[in-house]
Amino acid sequence: MNTQANISAMLASTRMRLQFLSRYPGQLVMDLVLPIVLAAMPIFLGSAGGASNAEAVFEANTGTSNYVAYLLIGSAVLNLVTNAFWHMAYWLRREQELGTLETLYQAPTPRIWIAGGTAIYSAVRSVSTAILAYGIGCWIMHVDPFTGEVGLALIFVLVGLIPLYSLTLLFGAVILKVKEANALVSLMQWVVIFLMGVYYPITIFPPLVKLLSLLFPPTWMTNGVRAALLGVGYFFGTWYKDLAVLWIFMLITPWLGWWVFTRVENNVRRNEGMGQY
Amino acid sequence: MDHPPPIRAENLCKTYQTRQRKGLFKSQKSTVEALQNVDLEVKTGEIFGLLGPNGAGKTTLIKILNTLLLPTSGEAWVNGYHVLREENKVRASTGCMLMGERGLYWKLTGRENLEYFGALYHLNPVQRKQRSNEIITLLNLGELADRSVETYSSGQKMKLAFGKALVNDAPLLVLDEPTNTLDVPSASELRTIVRNLNHQGKTVIYTTHIMSEAETLCDRVAIIDRGQLLALGTVSELKTSLQQDQVTHFEGVISAQAESSLRKIPEVLQTSRSSQDGKALLTVVSAAGQSNLPRLIETLTGQGAILQKITTQEPTLEDVFVAKTGRTLAQDTSIK
Repeated sequence: MNTQANISAMLASTRMRLQFLSRYPGQLVMDLVLPIVLAAMPIFLGSAGGASNAEAVFEANTGTSNYVAYLLIGSAVLNLVTNAFWHMAYWLRREQELGTLETLYQAPTPRIWIAGGTAIYSAVRSVSTAILAYGIGCWIMHVDPFTGEVGLALIFVLVGLIPLYSLTLLFGAVILKVKEANALVSLMQWVVIFLMGVYYPITIFPPLVKLLSLLFPPTWMTNGVRAALLGVGYFFGTWYKDLAVLWIFMLITPWLGWWVFTRVENNVRRNEGMGQY
Repeated sequence: MDHPPPIRAENLCKTYQTRQRKGLFKSQKSTVEALQNVDLEVKTGEIFGLLGPNGAGKTTLIKILNTLLLPTSGEAWVNGYHVLREENKVRASTGCMLMGERGLYWKLTGRENLEYFGALYHLNPVQRKQRSNEIITLLNLGELADRSVETYSSGQKMKLAFGKALVNDAPLLVLDEPTNTLDVPSASELRTIVRNLNHQGKTVIYTTHIMSEAETLCDRVAIIDRGQLLALGTVSELKTSLQQDQVTHFEGVISAQAESSLRKIPEVLQTSRSSQDGKALLTVVSAAGQSNLPRLIETLTGQGAILQKITTQEPTLEDVFVAKTGRTLAQDTSIK
């Protein structure tokens, strides 16, 4: 198969999405503002309610007294995760509604490469705005953003992106079938916020919920970044063991996501076709 | 080695489930037979028309041939590639205009659209630019090329959608009602381009519900209705296949004896004579269509008739459609 041509098509898909974004630049402002606002609310609530020993209580539960950076990291990673779901879900849904999904299926570039191009666009946009939002948030709240191991934190983010975007394929399969994005993404967003421990450590969960949370790759990504930057504990004690778990997710989830997606896709093609929305 | 036919379909069937709404929360499942045992072969280098009303099954057939739908049963090959086992080769060897203006990204410019689809058809960046420029020139879209598609008129969008089908310069063009929403001059211009591309060697599948378009453009036409292929042949073959009564007017010097000889021909159903400006006007109603005309002329002239003018009421493709389907195309599509 012509891998070079497929890579070129994938990058053309990324470029095309960026061209779209250039027509709606206001979206980037939202990407920057939202994580700061989402973190600011619990930060101010904590400051108001925690009194003089707020930092000590927080440190006892999380492993760091820097609750401002902790929450900013949580909301930045949350934004990255929800953006991944919104971008991929909306991409699929919009292509379906506009009629361009059938046009994509007429081209010889396999869908995985086109989806890959959209995922790269989404990842570039989300990671860069998440880092920027974290930096701006730290500047506003007078916190040093570059404490700890920045490089390791980035590795956790980058390795976590692959299982994250693989999960969006599973989600995409549902959207392909039920032809609904808004309600599903909104619901997913709250499940994500709840499970990945945006505002609290998942150690406080009951065992079953904690297990569910640990089966969700973004939980490991969030904790990895916090541990690298703020020194909260890794789930398995050391960074490389936690990273290994993300690697396992990285090896399994793409196949699982693609397998489910193609099965649903064939089911749709066997019946009403991709064009029906 | 012989080239495979651009399209070959064997016993192609497609059924799908649909839901009929029975109120706010109630719905009932029903099965639609969109295609029934369609056998088809398109020849290299021809313009092949698929004629049928909306909902006849022509788009379903096209979608199966373009790998967008999976057939329920039967097999099909496009340019020798199997539509199920060699999907990407089928796609690479076909230029397709299916969704009309809906198949474009309206927020992008015309040029950006063409270049993006060029990438999806595996053209390298230099080829993409070159091919986009060629298409823009061919379709006379120069002034619009760098404007976002949302600012185009409906006809201009259709033109660009047609241009998208040319991006990969495929040997087979599949055009689903490409002149929809085009004004008369633009539709005519597009048909000329299609004809030119056909002369350059491209095979064209052309679906339409406009009779005159199929009649003037297509080498062969298939009439499809309710998922069944009802007739297939050249336009004149389809017309002559009509075993309908044909009315012929003969004008000139025609004796009563000549008329009487004519009546002895079994296919002649009725003759009537009148005179006009001192000339005889013989109106003959015969069966078996135009194929009978040489015999009628021979019989009359054999009896000394001097024929000055012969007029026939030739059946149109519309008559063929009515004969095959039992109703007019206009009734089904509201297109006059």
